[in-house]
Amino acid sequence: MEYALTLEHVSKRFGAHRAVDDLSLSIPSGSIYGFLGPNGAGKTTTIRMVTNIIQPDEGTITVLGQKSSELTKDLLGYLPEEKGLYKKMKCAEILAYFGRLKGMGAREAKTKARDLLERYGLGEWADKRTEALSKGMGQKVQLLGTLIHDPRLLILDEPFSGLDPVNVELLRDLILEQRRAGRTVIFSTHGMEQAEQICDFIFLINNGKKVIDGPLSQVRKSAEQAVMLDYDGDGSLLASLPGVVRVNNAGKSAELFLAPGSDPQLLLRALVGVVQVRRFDQREPSLHEVFVRAVGGRQAAKDLSHG
Amino acid sequence: MVENKTWLVALREYTENLRTKTFWLGILSFPVILIIAAVVPSMLAKAKDVRRYAVIDRTEWLLPAIEERAQYDDVLQLLKFLQKQAAKGESALAKMPAALRGVAAGLEQKSSKQLETQARFWTGLGKSFANLQATPKPDEGSQGPEVGEQAREFLNWFASLSPGEARSLQAGVKRERYERIEIPAGTADPEAWARAQLDSGKSGLFAYFVLGATPLDSNEGFKYVSNNRTDKELKDWIGRLSSEEIEARRFAKEKIDPDVARRIQAPVYFDEKQLDSSGQEKEVSSKDVIRQWAPLVFVYLLWVSIFTIAQLLLTNTIEEKSNRIIEVLLSSISPLELMTGKILGIAATGLTTIVCWVGFFLIGLKFMPKLMDLPADVDLTVLISDPSFLLSFVVYFLLGFLLYASMMVGIGSACNSIKEAQNLMSPIMIALMLPLLAMMPVGQDPNGTLARILSFIPPFTPFVMMNRAAGPPEMWEYVVTTILLIVSVLLAFFAAAKIFRVGILMTGKPPKMGEIFRWVFAKEGK
Repeated sequence: MEYALTLEHVSKRFGAHRAVDDLSLSIPSGSIYGFLGPNGAGKTTTIRMVTNIIQPDEGTITVLGQKSSELTKDLLGYLPEEKGLYKKMKCAEILAYFGRLKGMGAREAKTKARDLLERYGLGEWADKRTEALSKGMGQKVQLLGTLIHDPRLLILDEPFSGLDPVNVELLRDLILEQRRAGRTVIFSTHGMEQAEQICDFIFLINNGKKVIDGPLSQVRKSAEQAVMLDYDGDGSLLASLPGVVRVNNAGKSAELFLAPGSDPQLLLRALVGVVQVRRFDQREPSLHEVFVRAVGGRQAAKDLSHG
Repeated sequence: MVENKTWLVALREYTENLRTKTFWLGILSFPVILIIAAVVPSMLAKAKDVRRYAVIDRTEWLLPAIEERAQYDDVLQLLKFLQKQAAKGESALAKMPAALRGVAAGLEQKSSKQLETQARFWTGLGKSFANLQATPKPDEGSQGPEVGEQAREFLNWFASLSPGEARSLQAGVKRERYERIEIPAGTADPEAWARAQLDSGKSGLFAYFVLGATPLDSNEGFKYVSNNRTDKELKDWIGRLSSEEIEARRFAKEKIDPDVARRIQAPVYFDEKQLDSSGQEKEVSSKDVIRQWAPLVFVYLLWVSIFTIAQLLLTNTIEEKSNRIIEVLLSSISPLELMTGKILGIAATGLTTIVCWVGFFLIGLKFMPKLMDLPADVDLTVLISDPSFLLSFVVYFLLGFLLYASMMVGIGSACNSIKEAQNLMSPIMIALMLPLLAMMPVGQDPNGTLARILSFIPPFTPFVMMNRAAGPPEMWEYVVTTILLIVSVLLAFFAAAKIFRVGILMTGKPPKMGEIFRWVFAKEGK
């Protein structure tokens, strides 16, 4: 298999803190790879090393077949978590500027900037200053800025945070479109929903160490069986029902985790006597659950609900 | 390719700065300040309130004599003023009161001696002003120019000239500023009256004078009473007029010929000369004096430019950091490219500003003397007649700018707000103040010990060496200080690059000085 990105035994320390610890990772070309992990786990540090903004203390990073360096920067499209635009520049100008910084010619960058804006419904904003854009539009322009030089590897750090549902959908389509075009997309996220919807592979990092890494379907299978339940009534007794190991209770709905080998039908029968069941959905565990279990502890769950 | 990206950053920085209002305001602020500096002080002096004063004369004769001398000063001033206006042409005269127009017409060819004679003669007539009106013709025996209808009209006009009218004339007469209040006739105790007036402030009395009874013998009884302790102009003026009168009378009393007295009193006068390039004595012209002062002007210009631009770079770096665009840029270019690009872009912005300023300055040099009422023979363009001044200005500007810019970028990249930066800035600010404070001493003694020592301290080198230009310093000093300066610029630049690399991605608490030093000495990649 051809890899768009490989990390071999990469470590990075900040003072005494090990931000990334002996991390190895291979990302196949043409895939969508989700980077998950609680705050401070090392996602952004990993991404910054891949983009050569900071250099690893140990290990090697290979980007599209080349050892990571100042030169590989031009091959990447990177959207950082902290993103901004020059307020006084016009949309088309700033896109062209980003393109030129990636080594595009002046004329080529100019045409491409207008094309992109036109294609993504921002044509009329091309000659307006970026300060006039709404937040969602601003993020769109930022994203276009990472695409302008047609990078074969796209790295998006928390691209979904702060987007409204319409823009979330737009971004999702855009990411899928990139894969169709044969490009590789890596994105980090707190939003399990998006990761579940579009990722081919999941990589979970905690305390600088790799916790889970593999195709989404496999990752899910490795976890416990679960039942999604929508109900009315007193949910406090759910945990004591037969076969239930743990409950992720949200009040009107709950996720019930079953002991290996237990029968969901038995559970359903018991449930009827306890609460009024509106939905009973037997399914593979959500990525959310995989995440919480892998990271362990309530802190991670908290991070998630706030993320 | 690498340089290419640096230029891209620099170009963007430059064009964006050119689009800001601040940039243009900055450019325009200079001529505005220049004009203000030239015009406002004299305007402010003119805008002072009219000072009302009273005089209690215990001699009976001194006050009228003072009045006469004051009147003579004003009339002479007016005649000189009219002469100047007449030289300007018809349009300038057209704005004058009718009483002055006729007088002005006859003044053009007169020497200053003749003007003095005319003023003395006319004020002499003014003394017996009542007689003048009664008998249209002056006494047969009086000397000087013939007094005709014109003079009478003029003196009539002058007698009734109010401070406000005098001021609108802008001739610079004392009448603009001072108005004597008569003590009502028959006041039993004039001094008590004046005291009460001053105390109540009702009549707007600023001060009162008491002239002692025996001025020819002693100063006894002379008094100046006012609650204003800062403005001494009125006191000095009346003091001068009184002294002149009393002096003249003392001479007369001792039967000393006024000419003899003048000779006795004449101070020793040194004729100022300097040696020219061939070792010959030559006159000191205003040009030479200005040339001596020129370096100071350049030091100041240098200081303001470096300071302004470095400040711009600091705020710009911090803004960029808070703009959160840094990381996008760093995913395309290296920190060193980004920093160099920014410094170059801002330097270009600053240079544009300074070139404009120098342009305004050159225009200003042509017109400043007129605005500031300097004598006509003062030619400020001498300031830039020496190309070595301009050349060293450019060199020291570039080196000095790079040195301070590196410091500012280093500090700016480590801070998240201007406020944080100000704490770290204070040592630099203090360092920057020193060359300004040392400007006068170094200018007066360009090759003295202080000047020499300061020249070898790189942060001061650009200013102090510029300051010493009139000296001039020896060649080896130029060479050694410049090498020192260049080495420090390189060191500062690479230290800044190290700090920039780490600091620019930092958020949260600003680092301590010690921490910043550790970044500088940390190995690459950490």
